[in-house]
Amino acid sequence: MKLLVIEDEKALAQSICDYLNNENFICEPAYDFNTAIEKISLYDYACIILDITLPGGNGLEILKELKKANKADGVLIISAKNALDDKVSGLKAGADDYLTKPFHLPELGARVAAIIRRKSFGGMNAVQFDELLLDLQDKTVKVNNQVIDLTKKEYELLLYFISNKNKVISKGAIAEHLWGDNMDLADNYDFIYTHIKNLRKKLLQAGSPDYINSIYGMGYKLSLPR
Amino acid sequence: MKLLTRYNRINLFSTVIIFLLASAAFALLLRFLVINQVDEDLRIEQNEITSYIQKYNRLPEVIKVRDQQTEYIPLEKTPDNLHDYFQTSKSYYHHYDEEELLRQLNFNVNVGGIWYHAKVSKSLEGTDNLIQSVVIITVITILLILAATFLINRIVLYRLWQPFYSTLNAISNFKLGKGALNLPETNIDEFALMNKTLKQAITKAEEDYIVLREFTENASHELQTPLAVIRSKLDLLIQDEHLTALQSNAVQDSYDAIQKLSRLNQSLLLLAKIENRQFNETSVIDIKKMVEGKMNQFRELWQGKNITVTTELEEATITMHISLADVLLNNLLSNATKHNSENGLIHIQLKQGMLGISNTGGLQALNEQLLFTRFYKAEAANENHGLGLSIVKQICEVSGCSIEYRFENAQIHLFVLKW
Repeated sequence: MKLLVIEDEKALAQSICDYLNNENFICEPAYDFNTAIEKISLYDYACIILDITLPGGNGLEILKELKKANKADGVLIISAKNALDDKVSGLKAGADDYLTKPFHLPELGARVAAIIRRKSFGGMNAVQFDELLLDLQDKTVKVNNQVIDLTKKEYELLLYFISNKNKVISKGAIAEHLWGDNMDLADNYDFIYTHIKNLRKKLLQAGSPDYINSIYGMGYKLSLPR
Repeated sequence: MKLLTRYNRINLFSTVIIFLLASAAFALLLRFLVINQVDEDLRIEQNEITSYIQKYNRLPEVIKVRDQQTEYIPLEKTPDNLHDYFQTSKSYYHHYDEEELLRQLNFNVNVGGIWYHAKVSKSLEGTDNLIQSVVIITVITILLILAATFLINRIVLYRLWQPFYSTLNAISNFKLGKGALNLPETNIDEFALMNKTLKQAITKAEEDYIVLREFTENASHELQTPLAVIRSKLDLLIQDEHLTALQSNAVQDSYDAIQKLSRLNQSLLLLAKIENRQFNETSVIDIKKMVEGKMNQFRELWQGKNITVTTELEEATITMHISLADVLLNNLLSNATKHNSENGLIHIQLKQGMLGISNTGGLQALNEQLLFTRFYKAEAANENHGLGLSIVKQICEVSGCSIEYRFENAQIHLFVLKW
């Protein structure tokens, strides 16, 4: 599957592509309006990550082009303006989601994964990771057909990890994903540890392998056990 | 006091004074003229009497007429003073057979060696009646004129000033950044000039406002993008499995700094936006529901710090911008959590028009004057940027509510929001 990152800040576009590139995704950057228009007319993308302010034109125009050409590409708007107006007009113009800069790459990864799940086959209702099966509709998790009783936060945490599998996710990114941007928690991430500990315990008790590892005390990573 | 009321007062007052003075002067003048006239008549009479005496050497016969009475009093000796003199006094007047106000000319005549004191008098009563009528007519005229001026002022002046009041109305309803200012057309030069000047000033303010707004947005964009770059690079950096402990510590510290920086930036932008009144759409918010939602968000944090939370929540609504209400609650609860002590307490009380959030914490009261100012920190080595409460204050100002701090029982810090 192909992803397109339309972002004039090359360093940022590069980071996004580096992060999202894996065995499933090929990520291409476009640094200006015209290149972006050219690329979307030539290829189909699973998801387009779109900055609103671009040299040569407004990102919302690209969105309109897409809709005019009847393309089914998912669109995630990334903008430095968290003005409510921008958000509303972006979503009205047909964007699937909206993310305000500065964001954490795992957050972007999770949003892109969600958009692709919604777009593929008219909406995928389950996510599989090794022995774990997440039902997105009922928000339940099964290991070997056995339902694990998770809290809402634990479920969200697991889905976040699976959307960013094999990536180290910082505590800050986890906190922001679970509690939102508004909460001023900068000084203390201890309570995240409790959540992860509980999640791991529940997964292990249900007979699943230990997927979640702590990485040098600064973050966590979900991957297949070696 | 209204302009028209004031104008009317001055106008009425001066008109009354002028009319009173004028009618007094008029009455005096009239009296003076009438007396002059009477004196002249009396002189003519005197002349007639003296010429009669010269011609016939005897006193003329006293004929009783309606408008005049003549009297001769024989004198025993030659009078010392031969001057004639006028006098006005109340005396008996034959025609009406009663005391009347008379104008009298006194003079002496010599008839065949006998001196007589002659008095020729005319009644002034008629004249007085005339003056009275004049005064009455004047007073009635004053009243009529006053009434007329009052009405004319009310109607005409109100009409004349109409463009002024329309402009005033338009200005008081005007909000920067919310549509153009529509001032009524007028062909009165002064009002046209005023409207023109106002329009110029407001256009300038509007331009500045837009520039400021754009600056806010641009500043936001310019700062957020490099922050996004740094953060994304750090997110990538920690993917490296070969980071040493030293490197990962450096990354961790950078993360924290970036986090603080982006929060600071967002808070400053929020403050600027609130100040620019970019949050004008208010709605009626079920504040109880909102408080409960926020409590759910904070639950884990409270559990982590072992904070006990008690509530007294009644149904309540508040009218304000929904995002601002969210930030307001968030900042107050964050504060109560961050500055709480281990195993501390938070109490939330809500009723219509009042929200109180109290927490245990430092044993000393905070400085009430500085508490809501920007970048105020109770302790110097504080991790927070010190904008939370000034944002709260600012939100209160634009939303028409008030926030107040109290220190109770030597350890309870209470914030009370009233609306």
